[in-house]
Amino acid sequence: MGRIEISNLTKRFGDTTAVENLSLDIPDSEFLVLVGPSGCGKSTTLRMIAGLETPTEGSIYIGGEHMNYRVPQNRDIAMVFQDYALYPHMTVRENVRFGLEEEPGYTSEERDARVEEIADLLSISDLLDRRPGELSGGQQQRVALGRAIVRDPEVFLMDEPLSNLDAKLRAEMRTELQQLQHRFDVTTVYVTHNQTEAMTMSDRIAVMNDGTLQQVGEPLELYHAPANRFVGGFIGEPAMNFVEGTNENGTFVGTYIEYPFDEPIRENVGGVEGVVLGVRPEDINLRRFPEDGSGSLGDHEFQMTVSVVEPHGDQNVIHLRHPDDTGGDELLHAVTSGTTVVDAGTDVVVSIDPGAVHVFETATGDALHNRRLETELEVRNV
Amino acid sequence: MAGSSSDQTFDVASLVEDFDLNRIGQYVLVILFIGFFLAPLETGIMTAFKTNRAVAETIPLMPPLAEGFTLDNMTFALNALSGAFFNSLFMAIPATIGSVLLGSMAAYGLTMVDWRGQMGMLVLFLIGIFLPYQAVLVPLARFWNNIFPLASMMRPLFVAAPILQDYHANLVPLMITHIAYGIPICTILFRSYYQGLPSSYVEAAKIDGASITKIYRRIILPISKPMFGVVFIYQFTQIYNEFLFAFTLITGSDTPEAVVTLILPAVGASTSGIDFGIRMSAAFLAALPTLIIYVAFAEQFAEGLKSGG
Repeated sequence: MGRIEISNLTKRFGDTTAVENLSLDIPDSEFLVLVGPSGCGKSTTLRMIAGLETPTEGSIYIGGEHMNYRVPQNRDIAMVFQDYALYPHMTVRENVRFGLEEEPGYTSEERDARVEEIADLLSISDLLDRRPGELSGGQQQRVALGRAIVRDPEVFLMDEPLSNLDAKLRAEMRTELQQLQHRFDVTTVYVTHNQTEAMTMSDRIAVMNDGTLQQVGEPLELYHAPANRFVGGFIGEPAMNFVEGTNENGTFVGTYIEYPFDEPIRENVGGVEGVVLGVRPEDINLRRFPEDGSGSLGDHEFQMTVSVVEPHGDQNVIHLRHPDDTGGDELLHAVTSGTTVVDAGTDVVVSIDPGAVHVFETATGDALHNRRLETELEVRNV
Repeated sequence: MAGSSSDQTFDVASLVEDFDLNRIGQYVLVILFIGFFLAPLETGIMTAFKTNRAVAETIPLMPPLAEGFTLDNMTFALNALSGAFFNSLFMAIPATIGSVLLGSMAAYGLTMVDWRGQMGMLVLFLIGIFLPYQAVLVPLARFWNNIFPLASMMRPLFVAAPILQDYHANLVPLMITHIAYGIPICTILFRSYYQGLPSSYVEAAKIDGASITKIYRRIILPISKPMFGVVFIYQFTQIYNEFLFAFTLITGSDTPEAVVTLILPAVGASTSGIDFGIRMSAAFLAALPTLIIYVAFAEQFAEGLKSGG
């Protein structure tokens, strides 16, 4: 079976450590997305699973068998590369068939039949006698998938397979990839730096940064309960707002704002002094600041000025800064519905519900408190 | 009214405007240079078809006229060179194929396969390029004559072979020498091409279980076709035109196995003076094979230069 176990995996290239002490257990037929910024070691991890790199320390097991010293061919894996790696001098048929040539147990006719079958499945039958250079990006992508599927592997490894496609096609291929994965029920490790792909496609996401694993979990778990500031900032678009400050007797004090913590937060934060306040842009509520300037502000409300409005159609991203701030630094980003129109320069009242606040420790970045969810209901029953 | 009339009148001034002094200067310069480079060539070809009298009496650039025209020079030169042509091609073609093929394999091994000591090996290849030929001539001659007399060992084989004569065996050491000294530069040329290929080609094939030799044969070799054109032309020209090794390993221009470059200086030169007509004919004929190769591989050459070299 296709269960992948990775234990204490480390890879060093000379003095630089690409992957450090990574342990990960990927159950059979799971779609796991490895996500992180460039250079975080996610591709190296994938290449070690594939057998293209040898681990410096640690072990990799696929289906319970130790893989460290096995050549890629004998690992029962298939890999899709970012540039597709289609051979330009071969036709699509030859390209797909190439992966089958070294597979034992096929006669020549069976190989040809298998190629046809896969081509049919991916609806690329009419492209079989063309060369990769004559195909569009999406078609090339399909052929690359075909070459991976044709060997009927236990594990699919995908290295940013959609990054060369345009946005519309990427969305289409996302769904198609998921359907294929379901259909073949193959354990899949998918590497990307694109957090949308990670959120939409995965059963579970593993976030990496600087060679170390930050958090593994289901997409919504990572979104609502990030283990640290990095995960909080990486998952979600537009990114989570972070405001640095100190915890003074249960009240957050930043350069411009003071935010009293309520009881559950206080319990979790305890006596930690340096803290970072984290709020998702969609959890920030805006209302117009009363013209006469009177209106009283609540504990969790602040007066701010709109500096920039980015309309996306379905939503508006509103950049906010504090009125006292003359440097023009933006303090918060808020997301409002597309029909809420605010002009740049307007004064607004910003309110942040204490139930939606995350608190991270400045020194370590670890999450001290994550937002409150109405038990499981809010997540599961939507 | 005014508009329609101006449409019909020919506006001379607008034409003049298009003449750009810079451009004119450029073209004049280009034409001058073309003349500068082509004049000797033209002179050579014209002289090749002139009788001795015409050579003496007409301007070198002038084409041969009526009585001044002759094909005798060509026939004479062809006779003088025919044996040498065979020798040269018999030696240069296998030597070119050998060095290009081995160079490509070496480049593949040094760029696309991982193994310890790659860098040291590459340095050895680089040193091979900069090795001055003059420094190795004596040891080379001693090696092929005394230590490993391959030519005399192979002579019986050549006697038995059709077309070939026993003296052709003397070309084998020269052929092998050219292969050996050609490998480094071929390797470096192929290396730069292979470095430009995506590493995923090899990795994808590895995952599919292809062996190192299969990856080379089925993927790298066909993909590097344009580069083969470039290196083949380059290497053939080098080996065909080479003089120093030929001069050292083949005893002289009077031997039957002499190659074109050895014979060429002697054709048309005698104690009574130099026969320019014959010399020019011989030079023209000697250059033909390289010209033919250029034309034959022009397409690959252009593609190869574009994509890698």
